[in-house]
Amino acid sequence: MPAQRIERLRRFLPVATLAVLVLIVGALQPEFLNPDTLLDLASDTAVLFVLASGVSFVILTGGIDLSIQAMASLASVIVALTVDRLGYASFVAAVAAGALSGWLGGLAHVRLKIPSFVATLAVGGVLAGTALVVSHQHSITLGATQRAYIGWITGPWLGIPREVIIGALLLFFADTVQRRTPFGRYIAAIGAGEAAAYASGVKVGRQKVVAFVISGAFAAFAGVMLAGRLASGSPTLANEQLLPAIAAVVVGGTAITGGVGSIWRTLVGALIISVVRTGMTFIGVDIFAQEILFGAVLVFAVAVTIDRSKIPVVK
Amino acid sequence: MRARAGAAASLGRLRVIDWAPLLVLVLLCGIIAAINPRFLLFGNFVRIAQAAMIPLVLAIGETFIILMGSIDLSIEGVVALGAVLTSLLVKNGANAHDLGVAGVGLVVLTGGLVGLVNGVVHVRLRIPSFMVTLGTWFIAAGIANAALGGIAVRINDPIVRGLVLQRVLGFPWGVWLALGTLALGWFIQDHTRPGRYLYALGGGEELAALSGIPAARVRILAFTLAGAFYALGGVLSGAQLGLGNAQVGQGRLFTAITAVVVGGTALSGGEGGVLQTLVGVLIVTVLANGMVLMGVSPSIQTAVQGLMIIVAVSLSIDRKRLRIVK
Repeated sequence: MPAQRIERLRRFLPVATLAVLVLIVGALQPEFLNPDTLLDLASDTAVLFVLASGVSFVILTGGIDLSIQAMASLASVIVALTVDRLGYASFVAAVAAGALSGWLGGLAHVRLKIPSFVATLAVGGVLAGTALVVSHQHSITLGATQRAYIGWITGPWLGIPREVIIGALLLFFADTVQRRTPFGRYIAAIGAGEAAAYASGVKVGRQKVVAFVISGAFAAFAGVMLAGRLASGSPTLANEQLLPAIAAVVVGGTAITGGVGSIWRTLVGALIISVVRTGMTFIGVDIFAQEILFGAVLVFAVAVTIDRSKIPVVK
Repeated sequence: MRARAGAAASLGRLRVIDWAPLLVLVLLCGIIAAINPRFLLFGNFVRIAQAAMIPLVLAIGETFIILMGSIDLSIEGVVALGAVLTSLLVKNGANAHDLGVAGVGLVVLTGGLVGLVNGVVHVRLRIPSFMVTLGTWFIAAGIANAALGGIAVRINDPIVRGLVLQRVLGFPWGVWLALGTLALGWFIQDHTRPGRYLYALGGGEELAALSGIPAARVRILAFTLAGAFYALGGVLSGAQLGLGNAQVGQGRLFTAITAVVVGGTALSGGEGGVLQTLVGVLIVTVLANGMVLMGVSPSIQTAVQGLMIIVAVSLSIDRKRLRIVK
């Protein structure tokens, strides 16, 4: 059964790739395999993972969310501007703004029938413009009093970086939602075959909107984490994060056509991206050239994972 | 009877939709002129034309792609690559090259090559165009960045600089070049076979392929042409700034897509064209110009353009043809 073999390949190739990459980088640079270095790697991966696991829900339905990097930047600006007055509530406000933008983008996609990549591209533009206006095009550094509020995001807790703990909690949450709730099953069904899902009574539009809400909220949370790590908010803070996030989802083995995939795969994908980045920096590949590789990896991973039977005419 | 009335109504609606962008443009000009008469000064027209020339060249390339029902996200990468290559090939402040017009030709060819890669990967590996071009966007931007290592190179070539600095009949050479590009785009679209095929592919690709249209070849050709147009936009960007750096592309994708869809080219393909795109580009630039005249912060423009995309696309989409929207 070639189809089964391909499915098995899809499932195990990413994990095997990750293991091989870790061994290669470890062989080149033995200190990479120290527990401390690995924990550092994990904490550097956390933001990318949060961003990618949110957009995984949308990709599972067969759509895409291109607004996540703008949302993350806007969230960092919201935190930087309001943490003085609102305290911890500013983080809630940022995540709520993410959920709201996801809701609006989802509605634009579902109600107005605008393809998701255009709808979210447009929403991303609205968010980026908003971030520029409210921040007066400046990066805002958090002062000493404000930094007291971001202690929960960074630094070690019982020897483990807090980013890793937050990432693990979100992994648990997202994985539960994806595998153990009706919503998780519905979006898998929509991705596998939207017409069939609709015919069997799934409220396709509503489930899709929820997927966008999750994506927006997770993107905002990633922005909050970035603001915490860098102790600043800026309208361009999360620029250059969109491609790695989508690459992480796809490299992990979630098909861009939807239906196949999981949050765990996104975790593997995010780790692959991180290890490749670390390895390339170690070998001395210039940071700009890394973009070239990520672009190529994205196209390659899409080519491997895509289900061509679902798209009779490739546009 | 009812069917005929329905057809007539849809015909009427079609006509209103066809003329709506031009109407919007005229109204927009009227409103801005009423608020600030300085809008009507000749100097301001030149300013608008100068601001519109680069978006026009880019949006013409994107129009070809959207006519087929596809999308090309690689604009910003190719523009950056074009500007950087221009600054390295013509007379410049970093190396001894002085290829002049031949250098510009090489840049346009390189853009065409990136477009060719887009088209071949998209068609042969059967990957949706937005995914392929998302990848090549970053590949091209990465090459541009790696070539310069984050610095900017001054362009000293008199011909390239002359595109912005030298004027004919009051308008810089670059504006005439953009209009020439528009004429070329119009000629390709209306008077060549591949141009007509673009509409057939956008109208219904299976049918077009069954009627013997070489769909794969037309797609590859369209992406190649679009890449060449973006690279020309990169040359103009370099000329406008007087230097090449890898950031010149920023924001260009968004403006180009806004212009194409606001002009009335349907994202589902098969409807519209480069002349509609000219109207769309003018709407976007006049609005930006008007906001500056009225003292609105320019950073709100991206947000306004985002809303314009949503409104224009939702007005132009023919929902009867769409059962599943992804």
